[in-house]
Amino acid sequence: MKIRTRLNLWYMAILSAVALAVVGAAVYHELVIEHRHYRHHNHGEKSETELDSEDLIDILTWSVTPAIVVGVIGGWWLTRRALEPVANLTDAVEKVNDRNLSTPLPRSGNGDELDRLTEVFNAMTSRLDSSFQRIREFTLHASHELKTPLTVLRGELETALHDESLTAARKDQLASQIDEIERLAKIVDGLTLLTKADAGQVALKLEPVKFDELVRESAADAKILAQPHGVDVSESQCEQITITGDRHRLRQLLLNLTDNAVKYNQPGGKIDFSLRRDGNCGLLQISNSGAGLAPDLQGHVFERFFRGDSSHNSEIEGCGLGLSIAQWIVLAHKGEIRFESRPNQLTTVSVRLPLAN
Amino acid sequence: MRVLVVEDEKKTASFVRKALEAEGFAVDVSARGDEALVAAISTPFDGIILDIMLPGRDGLSVLRQLRAQGNRTPVLLLSARGEVDERVEGLDAGADDYLPKPFVIAELVARVRALGRRGSETKATVLRVADLTLDTISHRAQRGGKVFDLTAREFRLLEFLMRSAGRICGRMSIIEKVWDYDFDPGTNLVDVYVKRLREKIDDGFEPKLLQTVRGVGYVLKE
Repeated sequence: MKIRTRLNLWYMAILSAVALAVVGAAVYHELVIEHRHYRHHNHGEKSETELDSEDLIDILTWSVTPAIVVGVIGGWWLTRRALEPVANLTDAVEKVNDRNLSTPLPRSGNGDELDRLTEVFNAMTSRLDSSFQRIREFTLHASHELKTPLTVLRGELETALHDESLTAARKDQLASQIDEIERLAKIVDGLTLLTKADAGQVALKLEPVKFDELVRESAADAKILAQPHGVDVSESQCEQITITGDRHRLRQLLLNLTDNAVKYNQPGGKIDFSLRRDGNCGLLQISNSGAGLAPDLQGHVFERFFRGDSSHNSEIEGCGLGLSIAQWIVLAHKGEIRFESRPNQLTTVSVRLPLAN
Repeated sequence: MRVLVVEDEKKTASFVRKALEAEGFAVDVSARGDEALVAAISTPFDGIILDIMLPGRDGLSVLRQLRAQGNRTPVLLLSARGEVDERVEGLDAGADDYLPKPFVIAELVARVRALGRRGSETKATVLRVADLTLDTISHRAQRGGKVFDLTAREFRLLEFLMRSAGRICGRMSIIEKVWDYDFDPGTNLVDVYVKRLREKIDDGFEPKLLQTVRGVGYVLKE
């Protein structure tokens, strides 16, 4: 129960009790004491002013009830006024998230308890903000610092690879090391992107984008990528859909999802692309006949470096950030992304993006 | 061709210098942004390879200053961040090309060479390598009397490889020019497309024209 309701109820109860007590005392005085006094003086004759029960009801109806009602309304207004800053503060605190920690809550400045609470809260969020900031800066610096040795390693290996006296086996070894360096570089790139995104430092270049064209293009890429694995790619539906978005990021999103659909599929499996209007959104569904994921793991699929069931996927290359990046891109476009997988059925990633006006 | 390499990381500067010298370039190296600016103004270089993070003065600021003074020397930016925004920022500041770290040396060399050729690229509409021809207007490719059906993507890939015939094309360049991706897609898309293209233009023919350069990319040559 809200404090306001509780205060109001208590106040109402007390007000009614007091009012009734006062009225009760007055009536007692009137009925019993005055009456006795009157009889004493007038030898038992009935007084014209004597009160009966109807009068009593009248008194209660016309004086006590309005007093209680006025009192209750006044009390309700007072508690509302007193608690309004608390409600405002609650609304303001509710809007605080990891991205706007640096914006302080507005203070009343009148030095009361709530003003003090706001001040303490602001101090706390500013401490949190600086620790978040430090973590982000650390990741950005770390990414940058990692790139330098990776560049040197890659450069030196490539130079070594040019040595004509190397055996084929040795060349393979060097080339495989280069592959691993590129994978590391991709992880570092992905981390940099996500860290910047967390800090709100990645700006989207918004423009009207014909999403169906991008989806068709991805389906065509998927066909080529899937062919060596004997995976069949279909386009069950592709309605014309225009959204407001960042073309480059949307292509990145589609490529990440397409790549996953191919990588986590099984030989001879299938992939289906479907894009259609759904209310005021475009709904893209990419389904694949891969092994899928156990229900308890599906909630983690967008987490960074989530690798699913390690016994299944140890062979699959990737940086472990593809779906996290996909999720960021969708959320940045005010959309929704979902992953659904049931045993022995298709695994579907659904992306819902608002249509352009 | 005389090239200025501005890079503060000694080992990187060293292998870039070696690779460029091996290709016949004259190479100057500078490890500081402010010094590089002075050198670039006083010496007429044919190209500048400019790192962004530098002591003294950062690469973007060096570049802006050069352009503000009307110096048009082609500049290739190197950056450790490899983010699209940075690439756009670099090109806006007046860079002619951009390469994220870690880069493929062969690709860097190919791009520096391209810097010198800028504007003089062949405008030919029929490209020819050995007995393989590509008509860029009718989109028809043929070899030894056999005509190939190419998808739009395959056509762009073949056109790019043929226009750079004899030079190594790094994956990054192919992704940029054929797919218009500014980012590394993290898939083997390029390799799969090249494999398909190779099946079309090389299967049943000799010599094989489309060759893989391990750890680097591809080259189309006789």
